[in-house]
Amino acid sequence: MESVISLVKESLRKYGMPFPVDKKVCSGWTNDLPRKGETVLFTSCMYQIEPVVPTLNRFSSMAGVLKGVIPLAKYLKPSKEEQARAYKILNNIANALRRQGITPAYLYEDEPYSGALLLEMGLLDDFRNHAMMVATFLKERGVKRVITVDPHTHNALSRYREFVDFDVEVLNYLELVEINRKVNEEFTIHDSCLYSRFLNLRGKYRDLLKSAGVNLVEDFLVTGKETSTCCGGPLAGVDRELSEKIAKRRAEELEKLSNKLLVACPICYVTLSPHFKGSIKDVAEVVL
Amino acid sequence: MSWEIAINRTINNNVPRVYSVLEKYPYILELAEQLRKAKLEVLKDLENYVEETVESVKRIGGVPHVVGNADEAKEEIRKIVGSRNRIVLGKSMVAYELGLRDYLSQIGKEVWETDLGEFLIQIAKEHPSHIIAPAIHMSKERAEDLVRKILGNLPEGATHEQIVMRVREFLRDKFINAEVGITGANAIAADTGSIILVENEGNIRFSTVSPSVHISVAGFEKIVPTLHHAMMEAMVQAAYAGLYPPTYVNLTSGPSSTGDIEMKRVSPAHGPREFHLVLVDNGRLRASKDSDLQEALLCIRCGRCHLHCPVYRVMDGSWGVPPYSGPMGAMWSYIVYNDAKPSTLCAHSGGCKEVCPMKINIPRVLEKIKYRYYREQRKS
Repeated sequence: MESVISLVKESLRKYGMPFPVDKKVCSGWTNDLPRKGETVLFTSCMYQIEPVVPTLNRFSSMAGVLKGVIPLAKYLKPSKEEQARAYKILNNIANALRRQGITPAYLYEDEPYSGALLLEMGLLDDFRNHAMMVATFLKERGVKRVITVDPHTHNALSRYREFVDFDVEVLNYLELVEINRKVNEEFTIHDSCLYSRFLNLRGKYRDLLKSAGVNLVEDFLVTGKETSTCCGGPLAGVDRELSEKIAKRRAEELEKLSNKLLVACPICYVTLSPHFKGSIKDVAEVVL
Repeated sequence: MSWEIAINRTINNNVPRVYSVLEKYPYILELAEQLRKAKLEVLKDLENYVEETVESVKRIGGVPHVVGNADEAKEEIRKIVGSRNRIVLGKSMVAYELGLRDYLSQIGKEVWETDLGEFLIQIAKEHPSHIIAPAIHMSKERAEDLVRKILGNLPEGATHEQIVMRVREFLRDKFINAEVGITGANAIAADTGSIILVENEGNIRFSTVSPSVHISVAGFEKIVPTLHHAMMEAMVQAAYAGLYPPTYVNLTSGPSSTGDIEMKRVSPAHGPREFHLVLVDNGRLRASKDSDLQEALLCIRCGRCHLHCPVYRVMDGSWGVPPYSGPMGAMWSYIVYNDAKPSTLCAHSGGCKEVCPMKINIPRVLEKIKYRYYREQRKS
């Protein structure tokens, strides 16, 4: 575990991200959003970089090789398809916000990481320090409101106030957008644990899906608020085998409902993909 | 594979039943809310509530014992048991926490668990995997093989009913000849010194009434302000465990007594002549004063969080330090064994907090324990 902590901290120091990453991969999805503004779209590079995280996790238990992995890993990039998918999702969200009259700024290569991983690993002192750095940075940029696009970033930023002075409003795109198309298809859904049980956003994407005409196949024991379970992703850095067992079990449960699955989180997508036999799409790919 | 089969069957049997119980008896939700408030009140002033309980137990003719840790508890119970040899146990997680069964066996006592699940654990020489269904990891097929091997006289392909009947035959003799009955307590009323025990099998009634000595072993956190609250705890615990109404709720206030001659209360009567309440600290008092951990002490051991936890579901019941498994167990492993490592496996999926009758934000408690774990790791 210490190896993962070292990797995360060293990467944060070197790349500003918990994993080795080229910031151009993070910012390459747009060039037409303003660089400055009181309202900022905050991606935390989650959709962009998550596809390579499983590769890095494979090395996480090998403390000895990590020092060698870090310089090599910065060359690890999502495949063209993975990158295109992430970029499409982010553009769908940005365009949906514009349709609502919101043109957010984007911080491009300067966008900081939210600190979500530090929080979720229980590295609370590090999270506090990171939050302080991000809060100061946003204040210096005159940011008054951030719009998040994934549950982990939303959760981390929403909890800043527990740790530091933070007077920036934190909203999620799901609270602001409306559907852009009619989708007369049938899906089942895997809820993000954070959206569903911590952030009170479970109903938001269900409303969007309903408005779009999606036929959501739900089952009390599989997709209920209290009964649905995690994809296993948050444990990947702690215990990869356990994470995969959870993902496999979850995918098997969901497959019984439909071979078309919706998710609302990049970590859920990446974690369930190797195990779910049908197709998986993000909510923002389907209704925006 | 056995775990996967057993846990799937358990979830399908239990989870819908809990929802059905809560829908049918909505007053349980109100009781749970009141109970949380009452238990929080106790935790804010635990030392005084322990003292009040001690005085109440004395007043009703029982003998209170307040112990700091497992060794003190075992020594105290050894003294109470004395030269008596035959002991029956009602399932008690605190007794397991203390290592009481093993200890009594080691000093030469004949000790039998009487709860069916715990009995299976005893004869299998395994650890409990769930707080109220300790043998949850055993499929029916595994339980059948085990009972046949240890007790004999069980046909191949025996039914659930036949397995239960075979254990019943075996334990009857143990109940009748027991000299000491040891149980836990689902709740302890500070105002009366009474203990409440909820059960379905009838083994606890036997264990508390048939032997001449009844010892109840319970953690400080089982204390509630009044007997009224203790009854609430019984009802809420049973409902959230999906076993409502419970078959039996046992209330014990001191040794047996009668008032039938001129209405003068005389003790003993037909039941035990001695009643002892062993109140165990073992980290609880410290936790009650720790704002990060205090909430964990609200746990009423209904075991509901286990079945809503993705980690517990795939981990063969091995998450946490026995008997404290699952999400609640990851908290309790730290409180009583000072083992913070189980907390690191919390995926903060949050189902546990959603279904907890005491509204314990288990992921937040575990986040704080995780933090302590990594902080200590870095120091060493």
